[in-house]
Amino acid sequence: MLVELFALLKREYLRWVRAPMWIVAGLMTPILYLLLFGQAFNLGALVGSSPQGEAALRAALWGAPDYFSYFAVGMVGMVAVTSALFAGTGVIFDKQLGIMQRTIATPVRRSTIFSSILLFRGFLVVLPIFIVLGLALAFAHVPGLVGLTVTQGVGALGVGAVILAVFILAIAFTSLFLAFGFLFSRVESYFGVVNLLNLPLLFTSNALYPVGTEPGWLQNITAYNPISLAVDVMREVFFGSSYYPHPVYVYLLGLFAWAAGLVALALFLAARALRTK
Amino acid sequence: MSSLAPPALGQASSRAGGGSVIRVEDLGKTYGGQVEAVKGVSFEVAAGEIFGFLGPNGAGKTTTVSMLTTLLRPTRGRATVAGLDVATQAARVRREIGLVFQDSTADGELTGRENLTLAGGLFGMTPAECRGPIEMLLSRMDLADAGDRRVKGYSGGMKRRLELAVAMVHTPKILFLDEPTIGLDPQGRAGFWRYIQELRREQQVTIFMTTHYLDEVENLCDRIAIIDHGRIIATGTNDALKENVGGDVVELRVPDRARDLTEPLRSVPGVREVLREANLYTVKCARAEGLVSSLVMACDGAGVTPEGITVRRPSIDRVFLELTGKAYREEGYDDGRAAQASAFGGRRGAKN
Ligand SMILES: Nc1ncnc2c1ncn2[C@@H]1O[C@H](COP(=O)(O)OP(=O)(O)OP(=O)(O)O)[C@@H](O)[C@H]1O
Ligand SMILES: [Mg+2]
Repeated sequence: MLVELFALLKREYLRWVRAPMWIVAGLMTPILYLLLFGQAFNLGALVGSSPQGEAALRAALWGAPDYFSYFAVGMVGMVAVTSALFAGTGVIFDKQLGIMQRTIATPVRRSTIFSSILLFRGFLVVLPIFIVLGLALAFAHVPGLVGLTVTQGVGALGVGAVILAVFILAIAFTSLFLAFGFLFSRVESYFGVVNLLNLPLLFTSNALYPVGTEPGWLQNITAYNPISLAVDVMREVFFGSSYYPHPVYVYLLGLFAWAAGLVALALFLAARALRTK
Repeated sequence: MSSLAPPALGQASSRAGGGSVIRVEDLGKTYGGQVEAVKGVSFEVAAGEIFGFLGPNGAGKTTTVSMLTTLLRPTRGRATVAGLDVATQAARVRREIGLVFQDSTADGELTGRENLTLAGGLFGMTPAECRGPIEMLLSRMDLADAGDRRVKGYSGGMKRRLELAVAMVHTPKILFLDEPTIGLDPQGRAGFWRYIQELRREQQVTIFMTTHYLDEVENLCDRIAIIDHGRIIATGTNDALKENVGGDVVELRVPDRARDLTEPLRSVPGVREVLREANLYTVKCARAEGLVSSLVMACDGAGVTPEGITVRRPSIDRVFLELTGKAYREEGYDDGRAAQASAFGGRRGAKN
């Protein structure tokens, strides 16, 4: 079983390293966001530097010391969605090129096929997330750049929670978009639906801007958005728990529930696509 | 249904004993409850046999292969491959077979070697275990030099040969080939035929291949089944099929305005049928040897001297014509209108 899994992963890997433009573009987008949008858009300057102003800003930013720190963590959610967007395209091309048929005609288990795709596509989501997080943290130590400032000591448990949140979030979105890859046989239909999902997912989350000013109904939706849940885990770890109604594990559990549901959906559609017709 | 079963000819019935590797009974497939692509076919393929599945476009060849290779679920009848039921023991069937698809399925972004290693990996072979068979196959297929190039840069013929290699990495004993020589030049096809024959001779591989090339079944296959519109219309060896549809043919050309020779020719012992088309007579008989002189004498007796005599064994083309009442539909004649055109005035090869 492992031999088969590695054979399939190797193929995905070879295809990936042979499309350098794709890699560069995929990693550049979040970095550009951090460098341009994040640096330029300084909310703190608007409020002024009076002690009351700073306290109000902190409350609005859920404990983050400045907008960049708030936004950089939100970028994790955004990167998760935008890199997972492409997760299903490989499946569609494989179906169109007959490569999927060839794979199905071998004794390899269907669950192995699914795992290989989820693992590799998940890796392609996790990778830019950690690059973004690492860069944002590094920026804080570069003179002239605003960075992600961590305001409390983060223990091993905190680091573990952040890593777990990133992995679960990556698996959730990879599964979501993989599900559409298994469902559709044309790239046009795929991107039609994916684009439709993409914006509401991002804009009903707390990734990009402070949510305190939103109407109540939207705040309720935002609270359950999987991006919000992952971001809440990380912000609570980085900026302290005083602004958060729940402890970290509650958000993690919510995120896990999303991931479980989405993996189940992807599994169901994959089984349908891979079974003998 | 059994009364409608196609004639089993020649060695077919004797070969189809305990040694059958593929056994198909009343197998059928209806797509989406509407398109009845295969309408209940039955045949058997013996161990070590090269079995040809001949039929025009849309006849149901790929559908049949897909059912036998577990890629499609039959909607009727049953089939076993290596004694395993294709519907209920699909996973085990997949272990026993190799498959060459009608369309290329190699990954263009990978090299030939990488594609072959992947194929072996899917059968549980580690890269180290694959290496030997892969190098052997690459040199066999004349791809040794191209092995480290990406497949997207291969020519059509190279892709075809790679496809065959991919199907053989795990050294299956049963090989399914769906129009394997499509797009190969004559040299490529001859090379491919040679390889198939070696496979059978050296490794006793049983080969089931579909084709719509008539010369392919005549040169390569031990036995053939002819399928048209989802039904098998004949099964047997080349020779048996030819004899069954009227054996040899003698063509006699007589001078214009000669008197009608139909009756005198028909009365020659051994003649089965005489057809006349202007001054050309087509005489059908089991064997032409020994009959030609009697035919000439019959003409002489009627006061006519033939201008030309041709003797030929019927081609599979003719077998097809006899069985279906229409000329074999060549590539490109894939819709009903074209089939009719070729039935009514068309000679084989007279495209458009
Ligand atoms: N997935 C499908 N859904 C509906 N009809 C199909 C499907 N696949 C094939 N058919 C129909 O079934 C019939 C048989 O198709 P099949 O592909 O088996 O023919 P074939 O003998 O392989 O032809 P060719 O020589 O062109 O490859 C055709 O009429 C075709 O249109
Ligand atoms: Mg076909």
